[in-house]
Amino acid sequence: MNTKLIKTALRNISRNKRRSILSGTAIAVAAMSIVALFSLIEGMTDDMAFNLKTYYTGEVRVKHIDYETYERYNPMHLTVDWESVDRALGDEKTVSTYVPRITFPSNLYIGGSNFGAMGVGADFELEADFQDLASSLKAGRLPQNGTNEMMMGAILARDLKLKIGDRVTVMSTTAARGTNAITLEIVGLFAFPVGALNSKYFWIPLDRAQYFLRMDGGVQEVLIKLKDDVTSRGAAPGIKAAVENIAGTEMDIRPWEELSTTYGMLKMAQMIYNFIAMFFFLLGSTVIINTTMMVIFERMREIGTLGALGMHGKELIRLFFFEGTIISMIGSAVGVAIGIGLTLWLGEIGIDYTDALSGMDFEMSAIVFPKLSVAKTVFVYFYSVAIASAATFIPSRHAAKIEPVDALRYV
Amino acid sequence: MKNRLLIVMTILTVLAPSLLSALTGEEIVRKADDMQIFETSEATGEMIIKDRFGTKVSTFNSWSRGSEESLIEFTSRAERGQKVLRTEDELYLFYPDAEELIRMQGSMLRQSMLGSDVSYEDMTGGKDRVSQYDVELLGEENVKGHDCYVLMMTANVRTVPYPKEKVWIDKETFLGWKAEYYTKSGRLLKEIEILKVEDFDGRLVATETRISDKMKTDTETIMILHDLKIDIPIDDNMFSLEELSW
Repeated sequence: MNTKLIKTALRNISRNKRRSILSGTAIAVAAMSIVALFSLIEGMTDDMAFNLKTYYTGEVRVKHIDYETYERYNPMHLTVDWESVDRALGDEKTVSTYVPRITFPSNLYIGGSNFGAMGVGADFELEADFQDLASSLKAGRLPQNGTNEMMMGAILARDLKLKIGDRVTVMSTTAARGTNAITLEIVGLFAFPVGALNSKYFWIPLDRAQYFLRMDGGVQEVLIKLKDDVTSRGAAPGIKAAVENIAGTEMDIRPWEELSTTYGMLKMAQMIYNFIAMFFFLLGSTVIINTTMMVIFERMREIGTLGALGMHGKELIRLFFFEGTIISMIGSAVGVAIGIGLTLWLGEIGIDYTDALSGMDFEMSAIVFPKLSVAKTVFVYFYSVAIASAATFIPSRHAAKIEPVDALRYV
Repeated sequence: MKNRLLIVMTILTVLAPSLLSALTGEEIVRKADDMQIFETSEATGEMIIKDRFGTKVSTFNSWSRGSEESLIEFTSRAERGQKVLRTEDELYLFYPDAEELIRMQGSMLRQSMLGSDVSYEDMTGGKDRVSQYDVELLGEENVKGHDCYVLMMTANVRTVPYPKEKVWIDKETFLGWKAEYYTKSGRLLKEIEILKVEDFDGRLVATETRISDKMKTDTETIMILHDLKIDIPIDDNMFSLEELSW
């Protein structure tokens, strides 16, 4: 009986091609949009995770226990002892690489005026194992440890009209809660994927940062990358215990997922987008509901005849339900296929957010490459079919309630 | 009629000395300014800075000439060799590791000096306040056992650090024991109070002062001067930019 109904449904679909195409297109557009949207969010999330782990927090971050509490007061004196952290992490089995960093707000004194910028003190030899710094160099070379050298974000250098070889005086608050200034030579210009890093930051050797900021062997944070077979949430407690045991003091040691509010927001956005997807499909489904209703009114005579010939209400529901389901299956398949194509294309060329992100301190790369998630794409397909099919129940039930006698009035 | 005339004459006789000697607000401020201007001075000192993170001490040597020129050289470990030079028109910072002198101007002047409650701007105000402020004598009050004039000074130029100053000036010694600095709208910005003074041939000089920036919470800076010497010979080049870099 169902085979017969499916055949009838297919025949009806082909009989009303324009209406069927309209319904299918609505579903296809919704499915395509959601596949593209999910891929974009997936790409953004992956990109942000990489940037956070590489440039901002590592997979696990070690910091002074009180630093976050007083962060708004720029507590440069709340440092961790690099030597003891280094000793503890060297023996830790879950750790792959780690680097000490000092990030400090500063003013660049140029031509009698001050320009705000962020400095990063880093050990360039250790950084080589942590990230591919050399590939981010746009011009010049990396600063050498122990020298008064800096590399500057290419956009910052452009904005300040500075070039390689120029000497810049940097002023900042020290760990002694005083101020200090030092003149450094620009030896390199970098272009990280994150726009904010290029427009606001300059990097100097860690030892010079420690001297300049009066840190006496202390560092502001230690960023840790883990071995492939461990998770940051799983490894963080063990690292915390090991470091605190050797350092003899409590520290703020947390996995990166807990550190970035932006990343947390993006994860929340993913959940919100699931709801948005549902509304997209419901919107697309209104077209199906509408066209199915029209079909029912136009085929009133046929419904009356089918009823008079003994077709029950449930069968009528199934007939129209099959019609809707087949349209949504085809529409969703086409939409998902276009969405996949679009994602693969954009995944190659990327979406340029340079202008949109300019001036924003956002841990996302200027060019985002959407990333296809197979699981989510399959989910989108079935999700769209399910919602669109469910939507046809409403007009189908209406058809089932039509009495043959009433339908014959339309003859 | 005779009686009335007698009464008036008696009142005038009693009040005449005080009426004749009554000072205007401007005169009080001028006398207070004159008390604080020396031909030259030299001192060692320390700044005890208390904030939410604890107490920090910075030591320094200082020299001044007249009301417009001064030099501070920090001697404490964290700031050793840093200098602040005030000339007639400008304020410069010297840092041993910086290749250029930093001229403080505009919003830079509002920065705190070494994290203390003293801003660089506080060092720029001239000591001739009468020409920069309209002075109003509000009355008299006793501050720590000293009878003081209470004056409200409202700036008539834009080059002063604070638009309004309320000062308590000793009626006898003309030392300003206390001062409050306000925004134009009357919001309290800073409080200064003298804790200790030293007598130099009848002129009282503050050697311990408490400064409290009311825009910050729980902070105060105690500025202490040791070995203060007044009107001593000082090298003419002491306050020059060339000397600053050495």
